[in-house]
Amino acid sequence: MKTDKLDALSLEELYALADKTGLDLPPGLERPFVIEEILDALEDDSEDRREAQGEAGHIDEKKYSGLRMGDFDVDTGLGESIATRYNETMIRAIARDPSWAFAFWDVSDSDLDSLRGEESSAGLFLRVAEIGPAGEPADAHREYFDIPVVDTDLQWYINLPRSGVRFRIDLCARRAGQNGKFRVLARSNEVESPRQSLVSSSPALSSQSYELLALSGVEDLPVEDRSEGNPLRILPSGLAKPGDRAD
Amino acid sequence: MDNGYLALVLNAHMPFVRRTEYPRFLEERWFFEAVSETYLPLLRVFRSMEADSVPFHLTLSISPTLAAMLADKALGERYVEYLDAQLRLAEAEEARLAGDAAFAPLARMYHALYRADKDDFQELYSRDILGAFDYYYKKGRLELMTSGATHAFLPIFRDCREAVTAQVETAIIAHRKAFGKQPSGFWLPQLGWYPGVGEILRSYNLHYTVVTTRGAVLGDPTPRNGSFAPVECPSGLVAFVRDAGATKAVWSESSGYPADPVYRDFYRDIGFDLPTEYLGAYLEDSGQRVFTGFKYWAVTGRTNEKRAYDPVAAAARAAEHAAHFLAERRASASAAGALMDRPPLMVCPFDAELFGHWWLEGPAFLEALFRQADSAGELRMITLSDYLRDHPENQASVPEFSSWGDGGFAEVWLDGSNDWIYRHAGKAVERMSELAERFPDESGLRERILNQAAREVLLSMCSDWALLMRAGKSAGFARRQVEEPISNFQRIYDMLCSNTVSTEWLTRLEKRDNLFPSINYRMFRRKR
Repeated sequence: MKTDKLDALSLEELYALADKTGLDLPPGLERPFVIEEILDALEDDSEDRREAQGEAGHIDEKKYSGLRMGDFDVDTGLGESIATRYNETMIRAIARDPSWAFAFWDVSDSDLDSLRGEESSAGLFLRVAEIGPAGEPADAHREYFDIPVVDTDLQWYINLPRSGVRFRIDLCARRAGQNGKFRVLARSNEVESPRQSLVSSSPALSSQSYELLALSGVEDLPVEDRSEGNPLRILPSGLAKPGDRAD
Repeated sequence: MDNGYLALVLNAHMPFVRRTEYPRFLEERWFFEAVSETYLPLLRVFRSMEADSVPFHLTLSISPTLAAMLADKALGERYVEYLDAQLRLAEAEEARLAGDAAFAPLARMYHALYRADKDDFQELYSRDILGAFDYYYKKGRLELMTSGATHAFLPIFRDCREAVTAQVETAIIAHRKAFGKQPSGFWLPQLGWYPGVGEILRSYNLHYTVVTTRGAVLGDPTPRNGSFAPVECPSGLVAFVRDAGATKAVWSESSGYPADPVYRDFYRDIGFDLPTEYLGAYLEDSGQRVFTGFKYWAVTGRTNEKRAYDPVAAAARAAEHAAHFLAERRASASAAGALMDRPPLMVCPFDAELFGHWWLEGPAFLEALFRQADSAGELRMITLSDYLRDHPENQASVPEFSSWGDGGFAEVWLDGSNDWIYRHAGKAVERMSELAERFPDESGLRERILNQAAREVLLSMCSDWALLMRAGKSAGFARRQVEEPISNFQRIYDMLCSNTVSTEWLTRLEKRDNLFPSINYRMFRRKR
């Protein structure tokens, strides 16, 4: 949007545009100041669009080729800024891949105040507990590990020790000087990390099936077999043909 | 006797970028370009084959957001304005390049293409592209699938069942409205599968979907036919498996067919090559350089080594690549067929916009593929529903969590650039469920508000914005496309909690985010 286009707008229209652009301008500003603020905001916004110009990208991003067109006419929409948190005590976990999960949490202001008020509180931590495979009781506690966090942390990526297991995460407050006692503030949903090897409990595969799996282009997937100590591979990994996209 | 089956599955999708409250909105061009470069050319391919009685069969997913935009009258009007601008530029280019033996024919080619687009859109289809696809759907040439309402990456929402069911339910209602019948298949956005989603899809009377090779092979139990036959989940949903070899032949940016030097280069565009003074009228008031769609160079090599595009040579190469693709699939079918008790199936899912928009010759490749498959026999081109009619019994197995993104899981849609989305989108779903429980039988204004709230929640779940944030491209724009619906939802939630409604604001929002007119907010009620 050029200055002359803005010049053609009334002061009232300029204020409306500024509002739509997300600017919170004080009333009574002179026209040039309003125009300058709008141009600055639009220029900032267009910068990141222009950054993309000339970059190579994945094919599935190319359908959005318009991104490579810098322009000032951006939509600021009807939405306004969103809250960063919801002032509640909660924790949620999402499996990302066989090795990592994403957890985000919050402690309400009142809970945090009461924690700070307790002389015995010695900080927050996450307890990541394996709860066995699907179908087994969730309370059959197996292995766990703790991750200390601070009051200002709201999320973490958690490295999982094993794939193909269910786990959950407790947000806990440790009680100082009480022999490791703690209080669970919130418990996450159960999460299952995906397998990255063939199911060991599958019926024995025929030699034809192994050949079909190889023809399917997944030669380098390991076969989980804990009795052997290490994963087996269908075929030597040297035969793998990595593609540009995951299969 | 068929030696095997080949099932092409195209995913036609655009995020909702309709912003008709602005005189001109750049991101709407994604949609216009896709119409001009992919959807209308695909329909031309279908027409051509139908005229020659070539028995083509393929499966096409039209996402609900794309269907909403294709059905939108205001966008149709703006698409015609876009075509008029393209035609004006084409005329200018013909005049500029008159007498140039290499480039004048290319300017004429683009002029003819945009002229054909306008004729097809206006005269042949009366601005009804969905109706054009529906014609082939009704004739049994196309099998139309649906997909997530706003293309949400479902594995991330697996613990918010209402989020997943809302994506599915809204999609089915939109599909019925557009095409008059229940879809059989559901395209999982980004091929994002997780154990459990099959039960949800089947509960909506959907019969099949498509998963990645890795997801299927890591399934439980391991599928004995690899990717050459689908598997059936305990719910009865059938999961077809992507053929990795076919995928790489086309998808790979470095070694796939579209990278061939003779094809038209995607990047070199007069919008970045010619003086802004010349392009000024086309660029209108922005002054910024834009992609115009007028690209005269072949892929060839580095920028300063490129040669002029030769459409005749490119068309010949597309036919050669179709022959190569078919020969490779025949060889694969022959090898797999010897090990199976039924003809092997090779499922080839691609983004539709690859064909035409990115790979200009893609539609010609598809047409050559169908024609050559028909004349050669051996491999039968089939839709996924037709395969299930021939082979209703399939091995029981549950695929593992998987996607077609880099890494094969959720890496693309869940990283430091975009993970903030899920706190807010998840909260919006939770609060939407709360509202649906609190207000189960509303009508009038309150029902309108609740339905708009449901639209905003669905919009906040769109996976395309997370992808763009991760790619670092227009991250600010992508971020706003998530923040806005979340903010709008929050405002509605606050309105309902305080029992105060700004009808003017609501009406403005309804006009802007006008997709899914038949939406029913009650779908967010918790399933008992």
